[in-house]
Amino acid sequence: MKTSRSLKRIVCLFLGAVLALGCLSACGSGGGSKTLKVFLYMNDHEQEVYTAMIDKFKEEHKDEIDDIDFQITTQDQYNTTLTGMMTANDLPDVFYVGPAAVKSYVDNGYVADLTPLLQEAGISTDDLPQNTLNFYKYDGTSIGSGELYALPKDASTFAYAYNKDVFDKAGVPYPDPEKPYTYEEFVDVCQKLTMDTDQDGEIDQWGASFADLYMFQQYVYSNGAGFLDETNRTVTIDTPEFKEALEKYFDLTFKYGVTPTYEQDVALGPYQRWIAGQTGFYAAGTWDVASFMDPNTFPYNWDLCYYPTLSTGVSYTWNGTVGFCISATSEKKDIALELINYLSTDPEGQKQLSGMDGSSSVQVPNLQSLQDDFKAAVADGTVTYPSNVDVIFNYINGSDVAVGRMQESDYTPNNEWISMFWEGMTAYRSGSYASIDDFVNDLKPKMQESLDKAWETADAGTNAG
Amino acid sequence: MAASTAANPAKTKPHMSQMALQEQRWGRLFVAAPFIGFCLFSAFPIVFAFVASLSNWTGTNSILNNFIGFKNYAELLTDARFWKTMGTTVIYMIGIPIGMVLGLLIATAMNRKIPGVKILRTMYYVPVISSLVAVAILWAWVFNYDYGLFNIIIKAISGGKGPNWLGDETWVKVAMIIFMTWKGLGTSIILYLSGLQNIPRDYYEAATIDGANGWQAFRNITIPLVSPVTFYLLITGIIGGFQVFVEVSVMVSNGGTNYSAATVVYYLWDKAFKSQQMGYGSAMAFILAIIIFIVTAINFYGQDKWVKTID
Repeated sequence: MKTSRSLKRIVCLFLGAVLALGCLSACGSGGGSKTLKVFLYMNDHEQEVYTAMIDKFKEEHKDEIDDIDFQITTQDQYNTTLTGMMTANDLPDVFYVGPAAVKSYVDNGYVADLTPLLQEAGISTDDLPQNTLNFYKYDGTSIGSGELYALPKDASTFAYAYNKDVFDKAGVPYPDPEKPYTYEEFVDVCQKLTMDTDQDGEIDQWGASFADLYMFQQYVYSNGAGFLDETNRTVTIDTPEFKEALEKYFDLTFKYGVTPTYEQDVALGPYQRWIAGQTGFYAAGTWDVASFMDPNTFPYNWDLCYYPTLSTGVSYTWNGTVGFCISATSEKKDIALELINYLSTDPEGQKQLSGMDGSSSVQVPNLQSLQDDFKAAVADGTVTYPSNVDVIFNYINGSDVAVGRMQESDYTPNNEWISMFWEGMTAYRSGSYASIDDFVNDLKPKMQESLDKAWETADAGTNAG
Repeated sequence: MAASTAANPAKTKPHMSQMALQEQRWGRLFVAAPFIGFCLFSAFPIVFAFVASLSNWTGTNSILNNFIGFKNYAELLTDARFWKTMGTTVIYMIGIPIGMVLGLLIATAMNRKIPGVKILRTMYYVPVISSLVAVAILWAWVFNYDYGLFNIIIKAISGGKGPNWLGDETWVKVAMIIFMTWKGLGTSIILYLSGLQNIPRDYYEAATIDGANGWQAFRNITIPLVSPVTFYLLITGIIGGFQVFVEVSVMVSNGGTNYSAATVVYYLWDKAFKSQQMGYGSAMAFILAIIIFIVTAINFYGQDKWVKTID
């Protein structure tokens, strides 16, 4: 009997401990704790600036919050981790949402409607670029209107860049900062830059290197083509304009030899070759600028320019954006809103992020009223930035010579259909397809099937919701 | 007495002493911990994955509102990529017998008193304790087309350029097999070494007296008597082989050219997390679990025919 009692006592103690731990963890995730959880992805330079900003915010709000649990990951890992958090019903207070995910996150009740919160706090979004803001508005049916669910972290673009040192060595004049090359001019310049610099019989410097995934869209859009039709439900990679864009893009490697070959790309990726100063042109996203301005990362002189034009005569690239949203279940929405306001719309915050206060520049300012000040700061050297900064703003705001647009995959429920295309591009480069027609005829039905399935699931979800 | 108690515990229960009862209760409490752990971390996820596999779950939508029955399983059967990755996974398992043969040979060589044998044993085991991601990155450089160690050696010997190890659809499989064999070799060696040291010397002495040569002793004594180790390595190798993921994820991008390096688990992850088809990924995981179960069961069933013990 005595044993039985002691056993019961132990079991009771064990259960009590479990209960106490449960209560403690409930307090941790509930209203008892004043820790704000923030989960974002970013590169090293962004991390440095954002960590400083979050520390500053924490210091200024120490009466309202105890701590900010700032978790950072890479872009690759972000969705995997966030999906796990959603499944576990353990979302952080603040996290990123991309334009493609707004509908799904809202339909499934993960993100809070910011409209009433902003009104209550008296925060205006008028100075933010409205075309970017529209990606975070949703009326229950379509994106672009209705309630606001996120504040944009940035309006970014994927501009083109050139290595001045490579141009100087080859005696080639720099690209015109106001006028893009035509395709033919671009080929000519690239041919002049492609050479065997150490005279060992092998080419070791190329006109350009290409990461297909990010740098082929420019050729498609500039040739008046697209991956999908305007409904974003039909794959259109078999149009003559699209096939011509493909041909001209691949000609740079197979016909003109001004890019590394497939084997050389596998050995050392296009980005690494740019960093090693082996190519004349490469891309520079707004988020890359701080890295490329850092002599430890990129010890060369460089500047921004436009991608070459095809049949439309206009240089295109893709723009991007990601927004800060607040978890629908957050019990600290007011302070979370203050934080995302600071990161997205606060002038001081924007000066820090854009480098106007002397920090590394990780983005151009969100606020339109700061754009001229930013350009002036670049001109007088306050901001460490390449001088052709108008290239960035022309792509973001649109101009006669340059237009930035969102990619079709920003409007589809998932990216599998386009991933198939990128895999196909690699296969084409490696010689797996006999012709562009073979390539297109093989991929189009597979991409369409995947896209149909994605929409079918998304539509079913909306109907069910 | 002990045997009858074990055979029929129910009958003996009324006669159990206080101490035995107490021990039984404590036993149950101790057993409860792993049992609860199993329920929470294995049984529940398995049931959850099965339910998810019957839906169009994306990770963000509702499983119950997107219930589609066995449609994911039907699609899997005709999914060319699933079978392609399954094929690649099986091809990678060529490394299992290669690793076992090499492991046994090296263990046999090290099972004797030679100077520096302890250093050698440590060296062979270092890959096993090294971070898989770290060594995979290193080996990606070893296999590099332009700057890789292998191609530098090939060029020095033949004057020609070596294969595009990680970019070619065939060579990437060879590269993966080499890497996985290297990574697992240390485990095979250590286990075979312990197996070899358990074989009584008398057997070899008796064989020598009977006129057996070294090869005959190795074939008829060593190989049969290390068969429990071989069996263990085979089972763990096959189970691990079906679950290869990190190597592919780290050493090639996007599953390699034409998805030639991707394994079934890589495809599962790709579908579930990159394409947000969690339901489909769960169905794949379930099929994979069943395949592993069947292959393991066949191995266990067949072990009587070839696994010998010293007793």
